[in-house]
Amino acid sequence: MAYKMPVQKYSGKINEVTIGNGLKLGGESVLPFYSFDGDIGNKPAIGMEIWDIYPESWPKCLQEIFKDVADDPAKWANFCIYNYSPDFICLKFEGASPDGLDRSPEECAEIAKKVAESVSVPLVIAGCQSNEKNAKVFTKVAEALADKNFVFLSAVESNYKEVGAAVGMAYGNIVAAESSVDLNLAKQLNILITQLGIKPDRMVMDPGCSAVGYGFEYVVTTMDRIRLAALQQNDTTLQVPMILPVSFETWKVKESVATEDDAPEWGSQEERAVGMEISTAVGVLGAGANAVILRHPRSVEVVRNFINQMTE
Amino acid sequence: MARFLTIGERIHVISPTIRKALEERNPEPIIKRAREQVEAGAHYLDVNIGPADRDGEELMPWVVKVLQEEFPDTPLCLDTANMKALEAGIKVYDRKPGKPIINSADAGARIDMINLAAEYDAMVIGLCAKDGIPRDNDERIMYCTEILERAMEAGLSQENILFDPLFVVIKGMQDKQQEVLEAVRQISEMGLYTTGGLSNVSNGCPRELRGLIEATFCAMAIQCGLTSAIINPLDKLVMDVIKTADLIKERYLYADSYLDL
Amino acid sequence: MALNGMQIYKLLPQKNCKECGFPTCLAFAMKLAQGNVEAEKCPYMSDDAKAKLSEATAPPMRTVKFGAGDFEYALGGETVLFRHEKTFVNRPRFAVMFSDAMSSDEVDRKIKNVNEVNYTRISEEMHVEIAAFKCEREDKDAFISLIKKVTDSCPKVVPMIMTENTEIAEEAVRQFGDKGPILFGANDQNYEAMVNLAKDHKLLLGVTAAGKEKLYELVEKIQKAGYKELLLDAGSRNLKGTFDDMINIRRTALLSGDRTFGYPTVAFVCDMAQDKMMQLACATLFVEKYASIIVLSDIDYSIALPLFALRQNIFTDPQRPMRIEQGIYKIGAADEESPLLVTVDFALTYFIVSGEVERSKVPAWILIPDAGGYSVLTAWAAGKFNGKSIAKAVKEFEVENKLKTRELIIPGKVAVLKADIEDELPGWKVVVGTEEAATLTNFLRNYKQAAS
Ligand code: SF4
Repeated sequence: MAYKMPVQKYSGKINEVTIGNGLKLGGESVLPFYSFDGDIGNKPAIGMEIWDIYPESWPKCLQEIFKDVADDPAKWANFCIYNYSPDFICLKFEGASPDGLDRSPEECAEIAKKVAESVSVPLVIAGCQSNEKNAKVFTKVAEALADKNFVFLSAVESNYKEVGAAVGMAYGNIVAAESSVDLNLAKQLNILITQLGIKPDRMVMDPGCSAVGYGFEYVVTTMDRIRLAALQQNDTTLQVPMILPVSFETWKVKESVATEDDAPEWGSQEERAVGMEISTAVGVLGAGANAVILRHPRSVEVVRNFINQMTE
Repeated sequence: MARFLTIGERIHVISPTIRKALEERNPEPIIKRAREQVEAGAHYLDVNIGPADRDGEELMPWVVKVLQEEFPDTPLCLDTANMKALEAGIKVYDRKPGKPIINSADAGARIDMINLAAEYDAMVIGLCAKDGIPRDNDERIMYCTEILERAMEAGLSQENILFDPLFVVIKGMQDKQQEVLEAVRQISEMGLYTTGGLSNVSNGCPRELRGLIEATFCAMAIQCGLTSAIINPLDKLVMDVIKTADLIKERYLYADSYLDL
Repeated sequence: MALNGMQIYKLLPQKNCKECGFPTCLAFAMKLAQGNVEAEKCPYMSDDAKAKLSEATAPPMRTVKFGAGDFEYALGGETVLFRHEKTFVNRPRFAVMFSDAMSSDEVDRKIKNVNEVNYTRISEEMHVEIAAFKCEREDKDAFISLIKKVTDSCPKVVPMIMTENTEIAEEAVRQFGDKGPILFGANDQNYEAMVNLAKDHKLLLGVTAAGKEKLYELVEKIQKAGYKELLLDAGSRNLKGTFDDMINIRRTALLSGDRTFGYPTVAFVCDMAQDKMMQLACATLFVEKYASIIVLSDIDYSIALPLFALRQNIFTDPQRPMRIEQGIYKIGAADEESPLLVTVDFALTYFIVSGEVERSKVPAWILIPDAGGYSVLTAWAAGKFNGKSIAKAVKEFEVENKLKTRELIIPGKVAVLKADIEDELPGWKVVVGTEEAATLTNFLRNYKQAAS
């Protein structure tokens, strides 16, 4: 008997969402990278994370790369774009944290505007630990960057109304719904955000991320189930591209923060941290991520190579 | 697993409004009832034109066209004992929204409806009965497999048949309810699809109790494997219970707003 | 291949005698097809029919074994494509590639690396399980001495003997058969001899062909020859092609129910890239989907830490989340004055908490009592995380002898436990920590400052 290849054809399709001027996410109608089944949609995108303040808390090996530019977010962004060509820049307002610098929303908007004016790629705006503060920051930043199609990371259960109304409705940007590895909340948040009047192709989702080894099975399973619901059950509430801020998680786990003095048997800290970042990024891409955010140039290079090989 | 399939029952010759509209070929009342049901979330619409011995061959195509023009996304369930009328209806039926369902074949005189379904690549409801209500579940399963055998011979695959074990009225046949549920279970365990007329169960009960009885029976039957039912979609309780049962069966993902979808 | 109701019906005597408890043979057949009843219920079935049925109801993917003694491993036996559908059962195993064409320096370096990566993570010992040996020079003695050298120096690895030369294979198997090696290299030409060799020594046999179609034909032949302890390789050596092979071989078994491909597969990541980080990327994908053996060029901690951790996560039973061993854990250079925190034994919670403590750079202790493996609130609600269980852990792990501090920081979510714990632990003061681990870093810094 001759071999017959099985095919999984689905009725559902992930929305195609345009970020900035022309960075397209999603559009696939098959499981991630299953090009043998059908249309895999747009290539997953890679963004690089930068901060509005000098990243004092980053491991030294990472600071070293950006130390000459990291005082100025616009310089930092352009340094990344010029040297590593990411698809987008993720500007994280760590300085807005009430526990830290407690930068005002107006100040953040000023910085965001300056960065936006100086770069050639779309921005993803991320906030700090405080969801309450983020709502205020996002409102001002979205106003300053009105109708740019930039992504705001993110709207959560406690602030989605404020974030949705400002970012999505009033100022024409893209809302990311964040649900920290909770499948039902992921779906509910998407419903609530569309009920605010935001079009499904004007939103993305962050289903929650963790580093490999740190409950990563929950991340994979949540993403698998979201994708299967979207494709197999044609659940329109979940046909939303997923963006995973990988670097927010991988650079704080033991494998990445332990210095060579702390763990001499483990070898180079930089390589370990890069390894954690790459493996986590590929892990979520394999489960359906349409965009990942990274810090280390080496990770960007390897993950891009991986994506190219899988999609070309 | 596929979602529970609901078939709206409200276009029925028993209703005086519908009877009159069918006789006069007046689309308005029929469209109105169809719209209410579609908006309430019915997947299929049943179209019962009665025996229509005289003009069925002309009446069925007429009503099929009227409904499909207005509701191109809603598939239909053609309901009459008149085989010629069914054939004529299927011939004009546009299958874009889904295959037509023939309502219904049985293991007796109407077993040829199986062949009709096979010939026209339609779905069919298979009543597990020969003449009258089956005596017990052995009989039901006998009829069920007789229909299945006929289908296999005719080349109609099992996914195209919705087996109806014949729901019975609670007022008067209370002692048979468990047996019907058991029949649903047995048929489902054979990997077959099932359906049934929910209003049969609550027939003759006070109006305010009918929805409750139907919803409860439906939930219990779904647990036994029931995959579809012929219902009154305007009954919100029944529809909400079906949505919730689907949820508990994990046929879609939970979200707090699931009833709004 | 799985049979449907009608196909089973044709195997039945069609007597409709009801002795099976069903009104008709067809009803019985339909139910058999669903796996809802035992075939034995029909007393009139022919032996031939029984054989066909049992063949049809065997699991879709075989479980095979390799290795010996403490280093014996099972592969395959999977029943689902996604872990949430049930669980994945047999984790993939990692191999490092050796070759008789490598310089002895290179071999020595790899031996050293293989031996260096050896650590425990949540009660699981992590090390490379397999050394793959590629015979490139067709020099029997050189090949044998390479295997000998590596297996002598790396006692934990099981050899994978890779040659299509049956004579060399025979000698290698003769010498290393007691280690339960994998014999890799059955192809269209040599499969009869290779099957016999594998059969004689009860070895897992690696079958290789150029493409899935050719592999399928070859496996059919080998199955006919009566051997079913197989490991499949459809020949792709690049990332995209191997992904296609892994997905489709697994789907053929589990979705189409076709047992010709119901065997584990091997992914040669070592051939996909030179760069170890790119190999890490490829290997990550294949841990998720769906390789059973992953062959790397080399190993070090920068790729081992993520890969082993990922594998441990993905192959956790979703019904039984990972638990961390109870005890008292030292984070950083903690001494007897350092702060002491308590949390539950649910591995994920422990990891998040310990990660945040680590990030704070405040050396500290974390006490883990027996909390049933649940998260903080669930364990509390189930009565598993309370004054009693915490006091028991304090005694059991001799906290009072080890530490001078008599303050215990508890998760903010179970602030209600304060009084309860203080009752159970006379002389102790309970400090209520943060609700979320994310704010623990600041909390600890302030806590330490206040103390000093
Ligand atoms: S016992 Fe066997 S022969 Fe008798 S009805 Fe059952 S299946 Fe048919």
